[in-house]
Amino acid sequence: MNIHFKLFSREIRVAFKRWTDALTGFILFFLIAILFPLISDSNKEFLLTIVGPIMMFSAFFASMLSMQNMFKPDFQNGTIEQLMLSKGSFVSLILTKTIAYWLFTSLPLILISSLTASIYFVSGSGILIIQLTLLLSTLTMVHINAFTAAITLGIRYPGALMTLIITPITLPILIFGSKTIENSILGTDISGPLYFLTGMMMLSFFLGPWITASALKISMD
Amino acid sequence: MNLKKIYKYGSPPNFYRFVMKLEPWCLCLGLLMIAIGSIGGLFVAPKDYQMGDAFRIIYFHVPSAYLSMSAYAAMGISSIIGIVWRSNVAFAVAKSIAPFGALMTAVALITGMLWGKPMWGTAWVWDARLTSEFILLLLYLGYIALHATIKEQKRADRAASLLAILGIVNLPIIHYSVVWWNTLHQASTISKLDSPSIVGEMLWPLLLMIIGYMIFFVGVICRGGSAEVLMREKRSNWVKEV
Repeated sequence: MNIHFKLFSREIRVAFKRWTDALTGFILFFLIAILFPLISDSNKEFLLTIVGPIMMFSAFFASMLSMQNMFKPDFQNGTIEQLMLSKGSFVSLILTKTIAYWLFTSLPLILISSLTASIYFVSGSGILIIQLTLLLSTLTMVHINAFTAAITLGIRYPGALMTLIITPITLPILIFGSKTIENSILGTDISGPLYFLTGMMMLSFFLGPWITASALKISMD
Repeated sequence: MNLKKIYKYGSPPNFYRFVMKLEPWCLCLGLLMIAIGSIGGLFVAPKDYQMGDAFRIIYFHVPSAYLSMSAYAAMGISSIIGIVWRSNVAFAVAKSIAPFGALMTAVALITGMLWGKPMWGTAWVWDARLTSEFILLLLYLGYIALHATIKEQKRADRAASLLAILGIVNLPIIHYSVVWWNTLHQASTISKLDSPSIVGEMLWPLLLMIIGYMIFFVGVICRGGSAEVLMREKRSNWVKEV
């Protein structure tokens, strides 16, 4: 059997065993979205203007919360070392691992976002645009998270450091993501920011696994 | 460009001797230029017809803003050299640039705020350049923090360098994504070289300050880098001779 397929099914099985990781991010995403209308103004116009930033912000926080455990358990039990020594290319194995991780932590957010968007009175094609934006931006963010998790692997309490590293790198995605959603709600052209998000996603797929692999190699010596 | 020279100065003793010769010149020349520039800027240059005397903070704001960005570029380049050629000297230089660059970024931000308060009526606006300067500060702090948290020297060097390189790739993207907003910051005055929108008596102290800051920066890096190299090589023979 192909090594990538094996690794992928192994990641899925492990993820089901550690389901609390994924659930924490999921609950956080949902709670931020629900709490915001509760503690601030809840009229329709106001909510429609802030739905873009809120969506991007809660997706960012949810993905950041779960990422500490991205490589740590596998690092401690030696799986990463085995992957490094195995026959396939380490970079593509990392890509497989990242995609499996994304499936478990970010895909649920995209599915539930149709519900949270309707809380904010977004309707029809707006929901689809939100989901598309979240799809593109979480696919980019997962690579940034992977890099950050890899480079802070040997550190005992990496929490604050991770935030410091991850915020500046993720910022463009947050800006353009909320710009896309805002434009779609205002009914103006969304192609500009959407192209940018797609470009960032391509770039991160191209560079991300490679730079994560070298960060892991540095953390392993 | 011949690589032999790079290899020659890449060896710690050669680097140390070269830098020790360079350092006093850079520091003296830089300080001299900064002194002349400050006098020229604070006393000789005429008042701005709109801003009055308050515009004089430009002589500290613009050079530090320039330097904050070029210092990051220098840090990224020496990180790349360090990772590609496994050069300990390049890592030492990158590490010594980081605090100085962060300081310059902070100076640029603070002078900008002091300048903005009387001119725009507010110390902070969510404007493109201010925001990307602030993000630059975060990138510097991330580098310093990552380097400081990892105990083992070699690992810390390589991990922090990887972060610096990623920052170099990301910096233009961050900048242009922030430019997306409408910008309040005045357009730069001296980039239009053929027809500068600033009179000569105001211009020369500014140019002198910028160049002086750069040369002084090189001197400071020589000092920091050589100290860092000495720390790292403290067990080797040539350090005992120095």
